[in-house]
Amino acid sequence: MPMHELDEPLRELIPRLRRFAVSLTRNASSADDLVQATLERAINRWADKRIEGDLRAWLFSILYRQFLDAHRRTRRYARMLEFFTGRDDAQPSVERTVIAQSTLQAFDQLNTEQRALLLWVSVEGLSYKEVADILDVPIGTVMSRLSRARQALRQLSDGEIASPSLRILK
Amino acid sequence: MISLPPSERDLHAYVDHQLLESDRRLLETYLAAHPEVAAQVQAWQHDAQLLRASLSGALQQPANPALDPALVRQRIKQQSRRHFATAAVLLVAVSLGGLGGWHAREATQASMLPMADAMQAFRLFAQEGIMPADYNGQDSGTMQAWLDRYFNQAHRLPDLSQSGFKPVSGRLLTTEQGAAAMVLYEDPHGRRISFYIRPPGPNNGFLPRGQRSADGLQAQYWSGGGYNYAMVSPTDQPPPSMQPF
Repeated sequence: MPMHELDEPLRELIPRLRRFAVSLTRNASSADDLVQATLERAINRWADKRIEGDLRAWLFSILYRQFLDAHRRTRRYARMLEFFTGRDDAQPSVERTVIAQSTLQAFDQLNTEQRALLLWVSVEGLSYKEVADILDVPIGTVMSRLSRARQALRQLSDGEIASPSLRILK
Repeated sequence: MISLPPSERDLHAYVDHQLLESDRRLLETYLAAHPEVAAQVQAWQHDAQLLRASLSGALQQPANPALDPALVRQRIKQQSRRHFATAAVLLVAVSLGGLGGWHAREATQASMLPMADAMQAFRLFAQEGIMPADYNGQDSGTMQAWLDRYFNQAHRLPDLSQSGFKPVSGRLLTTEQGAAAMVLYEDPHGRRISFYIRPPGPNNGFLPRGQRSADGLQAQYWSGGGYNYAMVSPTDQPPPSMQPF
């Protein structure tokens, strides 16, 4: 496929990439920076990519790595923290619906890999094999991590209901 | 082929529609006879549904034109330039910041003078113009929004439009005291003034309002809202008249 023919499929996937990026960064502007870096890398590496598998899974994997790299860098240069994650890190976005709020709050409390796993499998419907390729681990490992993520989500959702935030405020 | 009773993995694979058709039917029969296991599976399914529902809104965000692949492709063409810029940023970080290494003596002396880094940044970016900007603003409103992404409750960008100056570009820098930004103003004659902002540093070096000049540049400086500020311009140019804060 010549380079510019990649543009249209990329364009179609941008909303999904932005959603995934927001779920990782929890901040819309950092998320778009991340998506932009992902698109750059995808376009640069397209020539070397052998056409196999799903474009979406490939892009998710690039985005995820970029996020982890940026995260590591921020830890190293703690001073630059604000530049990558933003100050209002944990603020929920407006469009999140009330009905699913406790699930979403629980989701936001999961660790990075668990958020990515649940988004890939439960929301995007990637296969275990595709996820295993992204994380570069065996399928069995994906399944046990997914199981832990799901239990954690369950516990946190229940916990939200059991201890309303009013109690914390005193 | 799964075996009964199903393992937890089989149950997850069922929730995720990743079982073979025959296994799926086998498991559904099992679930019908084991309500406590079925309840567990339903809870996972319910969580997944809620997650899909609550994240579906995130697909409806207004498009961000900066993310269009054609534009991204264009930017990649300027990449070698950017690599050079990255190298330059590192240099700047060293020369603006440094109390360390072989540079220590000059840097120590320089940092005794208030906001020496602001003047150094002006020299590098406004006068030598060696690097592309991190942000090019269309008007003062978007420039302010850009700045607010990095600095919390800082003083507003001064309005210099009465003297004909408008903010045209912004740059991010790292300094010994923390992350800094410089916003460059320009007037129709191509004259330049910079607004510089950074944290006071670990010793909380807040400044009384003051001004000084050195090597052809003049700086007005002050503190407020948790940051230090400077306005820098060449001495052969009248200093910006600013509203007192």
